[in-house]
Amino acid sequence: MKKLLTIGVALLALVAVACAGSMKAPPDASYKKVSELVPLPEFLPGMGTLYVQPATLPVGPFLAYDRDGMLVSTIYMVPMEEMQQYKNFTGLAVGSDQVRKVDLTYNAGHPGVEAPHYHVTIWHVDPATAKVK
Amino acid sequence: MISRRAVLQAVGLWLAGLALGRIGWSAEEQQEFEIRMRSDPGGAHVVFDPIGLLVSPGQRVRWVNDGHNVHSTTAYHPDNLWHPLRIPAAAEPWDSGYLINPGDSFEVRFTVEGVYDYYCTPHEAAGMVGRIIVLGSGKNDSASFKPYPDDAGNPAWKKIPQAALANFPTVESILKGGD
Repeated sequence: MKKLLTIGVALLALVAVACAGSMKAPPDASYKKVSELVPLPEFLPGMGTLYVQPATLPVGPFLAYDRDGMLVSTIYMVPMEEMQQYKNFTGLAVGSDQVRKVDLTYNAGHPGVEAPHYHVTIWHVDPATAKVK
Repeated sequence: MISRRAVLQAVGLWLAGLALGRIGWSAEEQQEFEIRMRSDPGGAHVVFDPIGLLVSPGQRVRWVNDGHNVHSTTAYHPDNLWHPLRIPAAAEPWDSGYLINPGDSFEVRFTVEGVYDYYCTPHEAAGMVGRIIVLGSGKNDSASFKPYPDDAGNPAWKKIPQAALANFPTVESILKGGD
């Protein structure tokens, strides 16, 4: 029994280390830095440094990292036109299963998503403490 | 200490300024005029400021990115990704490309009289457009400037988004030169 408990604790520790690792930039190689795909600054104040799998554009998920390279949020960019056409977006990936807050904010457009859209931001840390200024 | 009410009032006034769209007028002796490419920090409200401008032949206009967003100044012309022609046929089209950083700028010298409509590439669908009228001194005849049709009828040209069409200032308001 004691042996089983020890193995269990060791496995939990390994999982914790794996999660912590995935919270640091860069994400896996299928994600590309957004600033290398479209003409945008590498660090976007209020959001951080974004990574995305190009095949998932424009909706994402975009993984946002703060100035320390820590994952702070997962962002989806949903064009207004596609919402008005009642399009569904289901089963979207998340950068982490920790959710602290969710923001829905309107954006007039930017390179990469050049149409009015909503940012759906799933904060994995408290946005007040995220180093994204 | 600045009160919360004062801050809210200041933000409200700033947003009102974005929404209204100023008209500018370039004095005869001024050789260069500046248009700010503005955005709020969240990227929700974007505008050329002033949105309408009257200049004389030979004068230059410089667009400056105010920060917070990426912009372009791009003439309505088929050379620019098949957008409809909304500058004088004898004039040269322009496209600044993306102006990414605060303070990035682009300049055009206008020599041909007429009405010049332009847009911001990432924000055209959101209605970020502007209009410049180039007119020789002593003239003020709005009848000589026919407005461009909303649909130029050329199937090869892109359709202008409704939000953009709704935002062009009228020729008359620009010729009046008022705010």
